[in-house]
Amino acid sequence: MSSSPTDLLVDVTMPQMGVSVAEGTVVAWRVEPGDRIEAEATICEISTDKIDTEVPSPASGVVTEILVPIGETVDVGTVMARIAVGGNGVAPATPAPAADDPSPLDGGAGGPSTPEPKSSSPPAPVVRNGNRRYSPVVQRIASEHGIDLSQVPGTGRGGRVRKQDVLAFVDASPVEEPPLHIESPYRPDPVPEPVAGGGELSRMRRQIGEHMKRSLDTAATCTTWIEVDMSRVEAARARLGVTALAFVSRACIDAIREHPALNAWLEGEKYTLHTDVNLGIAVSLGDDGLIVPVIPRAHELSVEGLAARIKDIARRARGRQLTPDDVYGGTFTITNPGQYGSIMATPIINQPQVAILDLEAVVKRAVVVTDADGNDSIAIRPMTILGLSWDHRALDGALSAQFLATVKRQLESVS
Amino acid sequence: MPTLTYLQAISSALRDELRADDRVLLMGEDIGTFGGAFKVTDGFIDEFGPDRVMDTPLAESGIIGTAVGAAVVGMRPVCEMQFSDFISCGFDQLVNVAGKMHYRQGLAVPLVVRLPSGGGFSGGPFHSQNPEAWFMHSPGIKVVAPSTAADAKGLLHAAIHDPNPVCYMEHKHLYRRVKGEVPSGVFETPFTARVAQPGSDLVVIAYGAMVPVALEAVSDGLDGASVEVLDLRSLVPLDEEAILDSVERCSKVLIIDEANATCAAGAQVAALIAEKGFESLDGPVVRVATPDVPIPFSPPLEAAVLPGVDRVREACRELLAY
Repeated sequence: MSSSPTDLLVDVTMPQMGVSVAEGTVVAWRVEPGDRIEAEATICEISTDKIDTEVPSPASGVVTEILVPIGETVDVGTVMARIAVGGNGVAPATPAPAADDPSPLDGGAGGPSTPEPKSSSPPAPVVRNGNRRYSPVVQRIASEHGIDLSQVPGTGRGGRVRKQDVLAFVDASPVEEPPLHIESPYRPDPVPEPVAGGGELSRMRRQIGEHMKRSLDTAATCTTWIEVDMSRVEAARARLGVTALAFVSRACIDAIREHPALNAWLEGEKYTLHTDVNLGIAVSLGDDGLIVPVIPRAHELSVEGLAARIKDIARRARGRQLTPDDVYGGTFTITNPGQYGSIMATPIINQPQVAILDLEAVVKRAVVVTDADGNDSIAIRPMTILGLSWDHRALDGALSAQFLATVKRQLESVS
Repeated sequence: MPTLTYLQAISSALRDELRADDRVLLMGEDIGTFGGAFKVTDGFIDEFGPDRVMDTPLAESGIIGTAVGAAVVGMRPVCEMQFSDFISCGFDQLVNVAGKMHYRQGLAVPLVVRLPSGGGFSGGPFHSQNPEAWFMHSPGIKVVAPSTAADAKGLLHAAIHDPNPVCYMEHKHLYRRVKGEVPSGVFETPFTARVAQPGSDLVVIAYGAMVPVALEAVSDGLDGASVEVLDLRSLVPLDEEAILDSVERCSKVLIIDEANATCAAGAQVAALIAEKGFESLDGPVVRVATPDVPIPFSPPLEAAVLPGVDRVREACRELLAY
């Protein structure tokens, strides 16, 4: 390196985005080593298990090295790149080096008098096992076990993969259960032609899949339904110009006040009861997937306030403008896919919460109503079916039924 | 089970055969009254008489030619070449007459030619050679080469019982250096290879005097690597199954020849592995052999050309590290 001794190196680290984020994946670098970057300009894009975001440069200067390649996942705090700033941490005052100069690090040291300009490119990363050849036995073993030899560390001369190395790799790999029948009668169906599309799942789809599978593997998920007469809600929402979701949200918050056990996290053996209701609202991003932004301290909001906040987070989610903290800290979640007319679902709990409420379509039905004198008659009423998926590890069916009954009572008594 | 030297084991086999089978007779230069240049047949003439322990003129062509005739009419002659180097004088009788007899005329030639071979004692270029590959290249002749006392006896019995001409390579350097328990009486060692030491990281393939060299070389200094030593014992027929089995298990191969490198027995083994063992290999097939030079008289020069423990061990290290 020919950077001046007064140059200061500033680390670019994987940022902490919300309390629960422990690691992040570099999705793209906006700079290359040698590029100049201004403070706060985006230096790279990262993805966490919750959200994608851009990382601003912590300083103005010249990128000296990039330490985390695209696609690699590292812990929060890991140094991802380094930026050389001028002496005393001040960005160099000299103009950016000429475009054909591969050694821009000299820029901070005073320009053209620097004698060794060509030797300052950053050291190339060591390419391990690059361009390897494999012996016949190694190739045969790899092929028999379906091993990608580029993943096998070599201990032979010059990092060569020896027979012992590939055998050790085979031993370390999980053993597949041998089939009970060598010749299975099963034949996979031929893929119908033509194929309309496909390929690798998007990162968001993979993450949604991981979360959903993890939830089902973790929680003892039960779903309880209740039928609600939405006549009063329909009348009120027409008057206020808000959605039924805002009323259901408020009703849930009120029910949580009566049954706080549903406003909780269960993480392994650890059960945490929350005072605040941080309400998660599932927002569809169309074909891309789904995200659950959170309305913090939702219990402080009126129906109108909730409606405004729901509108705001939905708009920002669809505009990809959420920050990691917008998706952090939910204590209870509502999902509302009813706009297409579906009437029931079994939602999957948003871990580590213990319950999720599903609001489907409001449909006019003929129902039996009883007047104040106890006379039954058939009436046409806007009805909906609320589904509550709850974690049987944290609570029991009676409580979930009581909770739903409270929600029903709240919605049917809206004034 | 008596403990015999390699030389005593050869004598024992000859004596047992002479006692057991009237058709067996010995022919050679100074094998009778003198008891043989290396005393293999010491005292034999007293027990079996000059008709069965026959001193011959210094004429290898005559010895082998006479023996071929005797074998064709039903005898079991065992000819001694005083030094294996001298067999070049009897080459035509052995290679063209004995070797082709069955193919041309359907006649068996149950003939054994004993070939005291090899160097290591400053014998110089005429008394130190390992000519086994000459006969491997000639169809119709079997070639065996024991490395232990028990195999020296068992292979000689099997050679005498075999209906084909057999070149029996007895290594002079092993005569009195190698000792071991040897079963009494007549028994046959099959013409197959023997795992002298089992292993899994590397196989050293050798025969004759190179087997003890290999065993010593791999006994230490290899960081505990598991090295197999395969003793071929028979060069024709070559035990392909045993060779390929060792190669499959070990995947790295070192082949040692005391003979000159070009077209030596080890070259044939290497070719076999290249053709039939390719998919088992995890490294180049490496050979250690005597370079293509006459064997020098000078002790340091001879030690420099013959494969020794250090050269073999170094080659093992290289291959293990590969």
